[in-house]
Formats: sequence, C-alpha cells, structure tokens
Amino acid sequence: MYRAFERTADALAVTLALLGGVILIGIIVLTCISIVGRAFVPLDIGIGPIRGIYDMSEIGFAVAVFAFLPYSQMQQAHARVDLLKPAFGTLANRSLELVFNLGMLLIAAIGTWRLYLGMVDKMRFGETTLIAQIPVWYGFAACLPGALGFVFVAAFCVSRSTRALTAPREKAHSHVQH
Amino acid sequence: MSNIELALWSFPVLIALVLLRAPIALAMIAVGVGGSYLVTGTPLMVLNQLKTLTFGTFSNYSFSIIPLFLLMGQFATMSGMSASLFRAAASFLGHRRGGVAMSAVAACAGFGAICGSSLATAATMGQVALPELRRYGYPGSLATGALAAGGTLGILIPPSVILVIYAILAEQNIEKLFVAALLPGVLAALGYMLAISIWMRRSQSDATVRDRVGWNQRMADLTKVWPVLAIFALVVGGIYSGLFTPTEAAAVGAAATGIVALVSGQMGWPEFKKAILATASATAMIYMIILGAGMYNNFLALTQLPQLAGVWVGDQGFSPWFVLIVVLAMYLVFGCIMDSLSMVLLTVPIIFPIMLTLDFGMSASDFGLWFGILVLIVVEVGLITPPVGMNLFVINSMAKDIPIGQTYRGALPFVLTDLVRVMLLAAFPPITLALVWLIDSFA
Repeated sequence: MYRAFERTADALAVTLALLGGVILIGIIVLTCISIVGRAFVPLDIGIGPIRGIYDMSEIGFAVAVFAFLPYSQMQQAHARVDLLKPAFGTLANRSLELVFNLGMLLIAAIGTWRLYLGMVDKMRFGETTLIAQIPVWYGFAACLPGALGFVFVAAFCVSRSTRALTAPREKAHSHVQH
Repeated sequence: MSNIELALWSFPVLIALVLLRAPIALAMIAVGVGGSYLVTGTPLMVLNQLKTLTFGTFSNYSFSIIPLFLLMGQFATMSGMSASLFRAAASFLGHRRGGVAMSAVAACAGFGAICGSSLATAATMGQVALPELRRYGYPGSLATGALAAGGTLGILIPPSVILVIYAILAEQNIEKLFVAALLPGVLAALGYMLAISIWMRRSQSDATVRDRVGWNQRMADLTKVWPVLAIFALVVGGIYSGLFTPTEAAAVGAAATGIVALVSGQMGWPEFKKAILATASATAMIYMIILGAGMYNNFLALTQLPQLAGVWVGDQGFSPWFVLIVVLAMYLVFGCIMDSLSMVLLTVPIIFPIMLTLDFGMSASDFGLWFGILVLIVVEVGLITPPVGMNLFVINSMAKDIPIGQTYRGALPFVLTDLVRVMLLAAFPPITLALVWLIDSFA
C-alpha cells in the first residue's frame, strides 16, 4: 500500500516536472523565434515578432512553476537551516519533520483551493490578457494539475514522515533514483 | 499587543521556526499569515489575496529570468565547458607556484559568466579540478577551500540569480547591475589567487607545478573556450544594448548553452532529464521563498514597521556610513546560518528604502547599484563561512576523505580576502560604478 503510494507520488512528481520543463523549453523556442521575427520588422516583409508572446510566456511560466512544485516537495528540496539538527536527536527531528510536512500539505491544499476560486472569479468576469486576449482563467486552469499534484505529493510526504516516526527501523527516506 | 510589538515579535518567532528546521518558505508563510490574521482580526484578507497571489507571483515576467538562468546553468554543467575552461586556465597559470589552484579559481570565474548559481559552479568545477589538485599534491584544505570560494564567483560574476532578485525588489536596472558586478567579480578572482599565492609561499607545501606550456598550445586551449565568451557577450551585451529584454536574453542564453551542450555530445536524454529535474526543484524552491517573503513583508507593511523603522533611523542622526557598516555586518552574521536567497528576499524590501534616505553623496541610481553589489558580496560570503556554508558542504561531499574541519580552515583565507574586498568597494564606490558611468557616457 505504502509502496504503491510512493511509486504513484514519485511518478506524478517526475512527470509533472518534465512537462513543466517541456513548457519552459517551448517558451524559450518561441521567444527565440519572436526575436528573429522582430529583427525582420525593418524590412517590412510581413514578418514580425509573435503577437502576445509576453502574455503567453507569463501563463507558461506560471504553469511550469506549478508543475515543478510536486517534484521539489518529493525531493525535500526546500531551503532550510540544518544547524541544530545534530542537537535534537532522531525522535525530535522526525517529529518536527512530520509537523512541517503537515504544514506544507496545508499550504498546498489551501493554495489549490484558492487557485480554483480565483479561476472561477476570472471566468465570471471574463478577464483576458492585454495583447493576446487569452481568457485569464485558461492560465489558472492550466496551473491546477500542478497544484493538485502538489497536494497529492505533500500528502505522501506526510505519510512518509509518519512512517519514519513510527517505524524507525526502516530507512527513513527511500528516494527513488532517477 | 500593538501592531508594532507584533512585528517585532515576529522576527524571533521566524528565526526559531527556521532553527527548528522548518523549510524557510513555510516559516515565512506561517508567520506572515498568522501575523496578518492577528493585525486584521480576520483570515478573509489573506484568503482573498491567495486567489490571485500564487498565479500572479509565478507568472511575473521579471521573476521568470530565474528558471531560465537556472536551466542555462544546468546546461552549462553538461556542456564540457568546465573542462575546457580549466585546461585553458591551467596552460596559462599551471607552471606557477600554486598555479593549479589558481587555474581552478580562474576557471570558476569563466564558468560564472554562463552560470548564475554558486552551488552549480562549485559542484561542476569541483568535479573537474579536485582530481587535478590532488594529482599535483595540493593539501586538502587548500583544494576544497579554493574551490568553495571559487564557486561563489558563480553569483558574483553576471549573470547572477541573486542580482536578478535584488534588481526586482529594489527596482534597479538589471543590466546596469550586471555591468557593475563585473569589476568586483574580477577583483574577487584576483583576490582568491593572491590568497593562494600567499598560502603556498608560507606553507612550504610540497605541491608540484605543471610543465610550462608554449604559447601555441596556450592559444589553442584559449580558442576552445570561445562558446563561453560568445554566450556571455550575447546575454550581457544583448541586454545592455537593448537588443533583448533581460528575460529574452536569459531565454537566448539558455537556448545557446543547450545547443552547445547538445553539440558537445555530453548531453543525451538522461543528462537532459537531469537538467530539467534539477531546474524544477531549484525553481520551485526559489518561488516558494519568493511567495513566503512576499507574504511576510505584506504582514510587516500592515504593521507599518518598515516606515517607522525608517523614521527611527533618520531621527537618531546616525552617520550613513555607520548604518551601512551595521547592515553589512548583520548580513555577514546571519549569512553564517541563513540561506542567501531568503536573506535577500526578507531584508531588501525593508532595508533598501531606509538606506535610500541616507546621504552617501551619490545619486539614488548609483547608490542602488553600489549597495546591491555590496549586499551581493556579503551574502555570498555566507556560502563559505562555517557552520552553514553550502559551498563548503558541496565541495567537501566530493572529497570524502577530507574532514569538514579542514575545509572550514581552508576557506578562511578566502573569507579574509572577501572582507578586504567589501571594505575596498565600500570605501571606493567608483570601483563598482566606473564601468557603468563609462558605458553610459557613450549612450
């Protein structure tokens, strides 16, 4: 049961991170094309920058960052200060770990809930981006998979740290290798 | 409890959470949200903000330079350029006493020109240079200390992730900051080389030197690093000449570095995947801190602490230089335990407006550049000071037989040169600003 949870969370985190990477590369390629197009403007032969490239990039960046969140959580990549770690002992460290993972789960859940409500607002007001006229709620909607993935992985991390606390004989962090 | 008391109490609470090993982003969000709730008496304000705050922050066009530079740095680590840089540096410097270590520092400086992160620079150059340093018999303390210090050139020499963040927070011109960082970065590399030279002369170490290399070979080695120069010129020159926006330049730099990595044959699918995943976790980590620092600073703004602190500092009639010294010293002390990025994100929105009201006898725009470079250097020192110096850990983990205590000791001479450089740059602002003035005078 736990193994299945771990495998699913890990696969989800990696898949979303790679998808986010694809979006990032996509923005890079589009930006380069747009710059080349802009260089042709003085020639006046109908080639120019991509219209609304900034709007599209902004949405793309947000979608990518949301898609990166689960992987970062899975890898416990968040910056922290390990100065007092040796002073606490295993039990205290693992208990704190559980508390902080619960905190991350709470943040992930509330953030996703509010993102969803934000999307509903944008849909209701029919707001669009400035130049490309893309409905803003599309962007919010595209961020939801990453946000939901973050909630799922954060839930797994809670179960992982609970397990480390209650079954200390087992390896605390069995990171799947990539 | 008054709002000001709340704000003042929030600092120790935040520090306590961080010392309990809470992820820094989580600690800032918790204290920021909790504080805002206590000030306004309702959770509704924060909940309302959250509807658009995450999307707004993550889609911010200025911040998006960060994932692009991170990806560019990842591609750079897989481009084989670290090895060519080291070879080129070694053919010029390797025959001198301490020359192999100096070459490592010079190569770090070169690598810093295409990589905006210190950890990536330290890790990549460590892989190339550590085996060589050992082959020539360098003591473990010097080898690891020099590489950890050399790694800090990654953020000192533009492009630099921390400078991007400072530019956004202090509303400074990113292209001018990059130019301003150039001379201090070169000074840093020269200072580290001087430290190596003095160390080697005093320690009577039995480290050997490389054979002198002829000029033909030197030129041949130097031509192999042209992609580094080309990419650096494209990115920094492109931004400065107005050809690209900073975000576009970062995208072009990432594309160019990615192409070099592909062409070098060192980046296949597994390496590409690794680059994406490393970018993903670093990006998410940084954006969570940006989010957290934003929420914490929102809470402080509610309590009006930043304005009151500004008024208080003004009323005391301190000399501006005294305030500057206190601020820089505070960064140095906190840098020993805090992560540099969190420190900049937390403090610059509060401290910069206060500093701006003090008269250092220069224009506001010059001050913004000069102060930014000083902050950059003092937070970068935190990467190589015990007990928590990330670069020291990164390099030490690559040389398992060298005790961390030796690495700490090895870093000390480099920390000293850092301190001397900060004093120099603080006392003589033109060192930082001259290049900006020069280029501006042509514009």
